[in-house]
Amino acid sequence: MNSALRWLGAIVLLSAAAFFMSDYHNDVYRKLMLWVTLALGYNFLFGICGQVSFSHFAFYGIGAYAVVILLFQAHLPLPLAVLCGVVLCLLFALVVAIPSTRLEGFYLALATLALGQLFIVVLNEGGSVTGGNGGIANYRLPDIFGVHIRGPWYTAVIATLLVGTLALLWRLDHSWFGRACRAVRDNPEAAEAMGVNVARVKVIAFTLTAVLAGIAGMVYAFVDNTVNPPIFGIENAFLLLFMVIVGGAGRHAGAVVGAVLLFLLPFWLSPIVGHHQALIFGVLVVAAILFQPRGLIGLWDRFSRSRG
Amino acid sequence: MQDFLELAVSAAASGCVYGLLALSYLLMIRPTGIINFAVGEWAMIAAFGGYLTLSRYEWPYPLGMAAVLAFMLLLGWATERIAVRPLVEKGAPILAPILALLGMLVVFREAISVSFPPDPHPVPFPFGLGRLEWGPLGGSYQSFFIIGATIVVFAAVWLFFERTVAGKSFEAVALHRRAAALMGINLSRVTALSFAAGAAIAGLAGLLVSPNISAHYLMGIPLAIQGFTALVIGGVGRVEGALLGGLLLAFAEQLTVRYAPIASGFAQGVPLLLLMVFLLVRPTGLLKARA
Amino acid sequence: MGSILQVQGLTKRFGGLTAVDRLDFEVREGEILGVIGPNGAGKSTTFNLIAGAYAASEGEIRFAGESIAGLPPHRIAARGVMRTFQHNRPFAGMPVIENVLVGAHTRFAAGLWSVVLGASRHEEEARREKARELVQFVGLAECAGADVGTLSFGQGRLLEIARALAGEPKLILLDEPAAGLTPAETARLAEIIRGVAARGIAVLLIEHDMHFLLPLAHRVVVLNFGAKIADGSPDEIRANRAVMDAYLGAAVN
Repeated sequence: MNSALRWLGAIVLLSAAAFFMSDYHNDVYRKLMLWVTLALGYNFLFGICGQVSFSHFAFYGIGAYAVVILLFQAHLPLPLAVLCGVVLCLLFALVVAIPSTRLEGFYLALATLALGQLFIVVLNEGGSVTGGNGGIANYRLPDIFGVHIRGPWYTAVIATLLVGTLALLWRLDHSWFGRACRAVRDNPEAAEAMGVNVARVKVIAFTLTAVLAGIAGMVYAFVDNTVNPPIFGIENAFLLLFMVIVGGAGRHAGAVVGAVLLFLLPFWLSPIVGHHQALIFGVLVVAAILFQPRGLIGLWDRFSRSRG
Repeated sequence: MQDFLELAVSAAASGCVYGLLALSYLLMIRPTGIINFAVGEWAMIAAFGGYLTLSRYEWPYPLGMAAVLAFMLLLGWATERIAVRPLVEKGAPILAPILALLGMLVVFREAISVSFPPDPHPVPFPFGLGRLEWGPLGGSYQSFFIIGATIVVFAAVWLFFERTVAGKSFEAVALHRRAAALMGINLSRVTALSFAAGAAIAGLAGLLVSPNISAHYLMGIPLAIQGFTALVIGGVGRVEGALLGGLLLAFAEQLTVRYAPIASGFAQGVPLLLLMVFLLVRPTGLLKARA
Repeated sequence: MGSILQVQGLTKRFGGLTAVDRLDFEVREGEILGVIGPNGAGKSTTFNLIAGAYAASEGEIRFAGESIAGLPPHRIAARGVMRTFQHNRPFAGMPVIENVLVGAHTRFAAGLWSVVLGASRHEEEARREKARELVQFVGLAECAGADVGTLSFGQGRLLEIARALAGEPKLILLDEPAAGLTPAETARLAEIIRGVAARGIAVLLIEHDMHFLLPLAHRVVVLNFGAKIADGSPDEIRANRAVMDAYLGAAVN
């Protein structure tokens, strides 16, 4: 059971840091951890299972909007709103994943791209339900058992989400399921011959990571206490993909490194490139694919191997 | 009925633009299997090229257009050289150049975003704003120009594939890369040419559509989606399919906006829904490839 | 020895071409059955029909008393029929030992919930031990942790076999395993195949090379133009005129 202790220790460490930070830094830290959480899930789907998808942010958004709408317009109690949000993500994921199992490679990506864009259209045209292109704001997290969780305590919630996601994906990765996912990624025909139900693996991976993204979205909804369409659009979908590629697809550490780097880079680069940090990201991605397909983690491996 | 004829010409013109974009995808997919999602950004770059040569420097239209298309040929060739060839030569899986091209997409868009202010940039109409009435059909000069130019391009490409030796070698590469290489066909030359031609055709689409919607650095992705939807509807197998797909998509869009009892914003959802439906239900498109 | 695989009236048509024509044969438990024939005789098609890669046009395939015709490949693997590929198909993103562990996929009992709760680690270790044994058995022990990209062609063939054996099959299908091997590698391969049969696993072996197959197989089935033209022990096949004609005929053509 000492692995459970290690995970718990990680949560404590990550959360403790929040109490020594200013409000501004807490805000950045929270968003950083959310991106890392998303990148870990996306890495499992793309890096480990080989499925390119652009709908990850759509599920993030479905979770966020669902919890807000169900709480403040349908007036459901929090646990029920959360549950319904999860079920919604699950259903949408299944609707896309099941017919997609016969689509090859990038064709799946395009179906997910269309889904992601459709989601934005629905948000923009959703009138009073979704708040249109202004989104929904001016709400706050309801009290849980009479306590209003905010500030560094909410950061601790996010730290728990991150570590929980990592623990779950780590365990799945180091099992027959993770191996089956990689087999599907590397050679689906051979995987099938070895007894892997390729379609089922793809559906499970897609649905699982979609639900994880949705849960992260629900947590996100109370970070800024506002949700609006551009956050869930294609820009961020590309950014997530780029994070995983640059960091090192297929490795959890790669997802973390990529997310941290590409999230913090704009802060450091803004004096030089202003809002155009995406230009650097594009160049980094092309460079990574051309010269170091295993990403920064691959570079680190090579470096530590030549030392040791 | 009058209504329908009114929008028929403008829908056909939109359909032609989508068809050109679909053709651009097709020219690159057939010999390499690579889906180049950056075609939308190519169209956007050409639109800005049109703004520069025709609005800012006020060159005569044919000169401006030729200059922009020549630039696009070069850009297409350069894109292939940078993001595709090194990966193909290394034997990388096909996903690698596709993702590298996504990186290029962002680079292209940001390059324009850095170089120009964020508002829309006007591109002049080559024939002015007049309308032409042709029997029961009516449309703007621009619409007829778009349709005419598209027909010329499709005819030329069709003839190239059907009647020339070079075109047949393209087909050979599309059908079986290794066999084609063994027969002495220069694979990298075919790929470079297909990217150059793809860029020029996408650029033409951008030039044709930009007088109506102005050049804007965000115009790339919607065009890329519409072009790809047209391709999926028509099927990758035949050149004519690209145009058919484009026309079907445009008519579906316009008819939905006109007659469906929903908000106009949902018009953007039409290509997206069609794309999802076709991908999930009939990914090979409507037209079958020739055996 | 009982019969573990029965093929009855197996037929496969591709459009107008009949690739396999009313084929009947059986494989007995623990035996090495060779299937030979000239190019285009229908060996690969038969192989793929049994493995589930193609659907039969007509006929029946029964394994361990149950019909497997029409089942998808992963279900056939779960029943105990594993296969190798003629052109090596390793999982490039994993080391050798992980490749072999994929072969054991159907033997893992832990469900996803057990995995998530961390309860499946013992099984994982046990399977890993078994995989190491198999890697040793085929002679790849030094490469167990290596990237599959570093394997030679011959080593890749051995990996195919180890991976298929990991599934604890009762029948293993080998698709031209000797193709492209050096004489030393071929001899080693023959030893391994005998070792497999000695463990009670039936082997169905497609081969082109009679010199490799005839000393190895317990029984041989000869195909030509999709149909069975001979069936018997290697000695009987060597003495069979129809077989010689088929091969000589093919060589002349």
